[in-house]
Amino acid sequence: MRTHRCYQTVFLVIVLVLGMSALVAADFTGEQVMWEVYNRDSGDTMRANLVMTLTNARGSVRERSIVQYRMDTEGVESKLMFFLSPNDVRNTSFLSLSYEDGRSDAQYIYLPALKRVKRIASDSKNDSFMGSDFTYDDMGSRHPSLDSHTVLRKEQMQGTSTLVVESIAKGNEDYPRTLSWVVEGEWFGLKKEFYKRDGTLGKTLSIEAFEQIDGIYVITDMTMKDWEKQTSTRIQMKDVEFNLDFDDNFFTERQMKIGPRG
Amino acid sequence: MRIKQKLFFVFLVLMTAGLSSIAANSSFTGMVRDYAAVRTQTMDMPVHEQTLDAFYEHSTDMGQLTLHPVVYSNPNKALQLDLAEAYFDFYLENADVRIGKQKVIWGEAEGAFITDLVSPRDMRSFILADFSEIRKAVPAVKVDSYAGPYTLQGIWVTHFIPTSLPEPDSMWAQTPSFPFPPTVAVTVTDPAIPDASLENSEVFLSIGRFGNAISWKLNGGSVFTDEPLVSSVTAPTATSREISQAYERYTFVGGSFNTAFGGLVLRGEAALALDKPMNSLDPSKNPPITIERHSQIQALVGLDWNMAGAQWSSQYLMVYTHDHTDTLVSQMKPVKEFAHTFTFRVQDTFLDEQLTLRLFAYLELEPLNTLLRPSISYNFGNGVLLEGGMDLFLGDKDGTFGTYASNSLAWAALRWYF
Repeated sequence: MRTHRCYQTVFLVIVLVLGMSALVAADFTGEQVMWEVYNRDSGDTMRANLVMTLTNARGSVRERSIVQYRMDTEGVESKLMFFLSPNDVRNTSFLSLSYEDGRSDAQYIYLPALKRVKRIASDSKNDSFMGSDFTYDDMGSRHPSLDSHTVLRKEQMQGTSTLVVESIAKGNEDYPRTLSWVVEGEWFGLKKEFYKRDGTLGKTLSIEAFEQIDGIYVITDMTMKDWEKQTSTRIQMKDVEFNLDFDDNFFTERQMKIGPRG
Repeated sequence: MRIKQKLFFVFLVLMTAGLSSIAANSSFTGMVRDYAAVRTQTMDMPVHEQTLDAFYEHSTDMGQLTLHPVVYSNPNKALQLDLAEAYFDFYLENADVRIGKQKVIWGEAEGAFITDLVSPRDMRSFILADFSEIRKAVPAVKVDSYAGPYTLQGIWVTHFIPTSLPEPDSMWAQTPSFPFPPTVAVTVTDPAIPDASLENSEVFLSIGRFGNAISWKLNGGSVFTDEPLVSSVTAPTATSREISQAYERYTFVGGSFNTAFGGLVLRGEAALALDKPMNSLDPSKNPPITIERHSQIQALVGLDWNMAGAQWSSQYLMVYTHDHTDTLVSQMKPVKEFAHTFTFRVQDTFLDEQLTLRLFAYLELEPLNTLLRPSISYNFGNGVLLEGGMDLFLGDKDGTFGTYASNSLAWAALRWYF
């Protein structure tokens, strides 16, 4: 009899918790959350130094440093990256133009040894970014229309209230299902899990540190762990600046050749 | 080069390296490479070369100074020192000006030279450890003017620099066969470089648009032939002939573009050489070798795409010679009315991009011959790379590549970038 009452109590608690979660979660649909994330104020322009630390399965570590410039104008996100190290890729630059309307990105690479800017095929969003555990897709803002989104629950993480959003890819992706822990109200992710086609966990993105710079939340330290390859990549952002005044020629072939000066 | 000069050059390199560590806004970077190649047929080692390829850059508010010294060391040969590039860049609000010895690259083609006629080529070795070393710098003033996505570029090459051809004793030398009986002694004089004058300088003009949907360029120039032509044949005696060579001027117009369809990049490039001087060889005439002028079109289309995690690329190049006759020759080899060449490249990376496998191939259709270049490289990180590969010349011996069938190579290289 006592056991039966105990079961009833546990059942009641579960129903209440789930019910409350559903109520809170029902405040926003998955689509709304991911559009809020996509449209979050991330500054019209930005400059930052990135240090990328790659750790392989044997534990050996390689480091790469990049200076990155970004500008959002009229539905186009322009991103220009200059590789500073290691020495064999120094002065190589990479320009990507991403469109809000879902058009394919335009991507260019400048190889100083060849003194030539080359347009490169841009369907490689699932390819590794510079040999890291991040893909080109991970490095940019994924358009919400590419997935169907559902808020699963509300969860506390790092002392912050987050909404856990499940995203199911509409197209053919290496990771067709992802879970994102999105900070409610501030609309940036604190964690993301990438699930493979067989349903197992493939990668985890963990946010180690974030800070508010010029009123904008910036993720300054994050790590992507690949569970299958047992590799990880940590990206630290330093010297972040917003609302810089870039001239018309900055996100062009000209600046790719000149380098991160001027 | 004399010992004092060598010491001075080494001192100069060390001084610039030292300066870079002291001076703000300066950098001294570069690469040291050890490259060795073995001929697969004879198993001899024609190349074991050490290279220092350095860059000194000093930036100011006005612009940048770039010095690019290169040192080659080969066994039992004098140290080869070269200031490959030396130029000043001035960055203005809507224009850039580059003055000095510089390499200029035009066009969209890979491994083919269509509108890419500003910098001549270093063909002393048919195969180079780095393809980027194939271009020679020219003394020039280059001005780029920008208006939105448009760029207008003008280049004045003050002195003509010809393409370097293999030395007569080089394994890459091609001995031309002249139409004279064996009893006739043939003397070929070196071509004279056109006098340094305004009239003999080269000019190039380009206008282009850097666009998201499509990027394009229209180019043109007034140039000299990169390789010398036989300009006259004289007979001082009944049993001797003297052949003179010269560089001849012509103009060209052309253009290039690139665009993307989904994951496919489409590239194109074409040039029309107007009344290009070419040699005509007709033993029934006197003199048997003359210069004729024929317009020539070169056109290339290329596709780049990603598939199965690898990068793929293929190109088709066609050369058409207008008013073609069977007597036309280039370096005493017949010129076809239509010539067709394909290239193919595939590249994939493994082990977190530390290991790279590559295959590059040229295929000439008539006569059927090919150059296959498989290679592998391992990046240890921190700028140290170990590479190995093969350069296989196969097919008809009258072809551009088949003619070097005995020069197929296996090679290895170690690089350290600093």
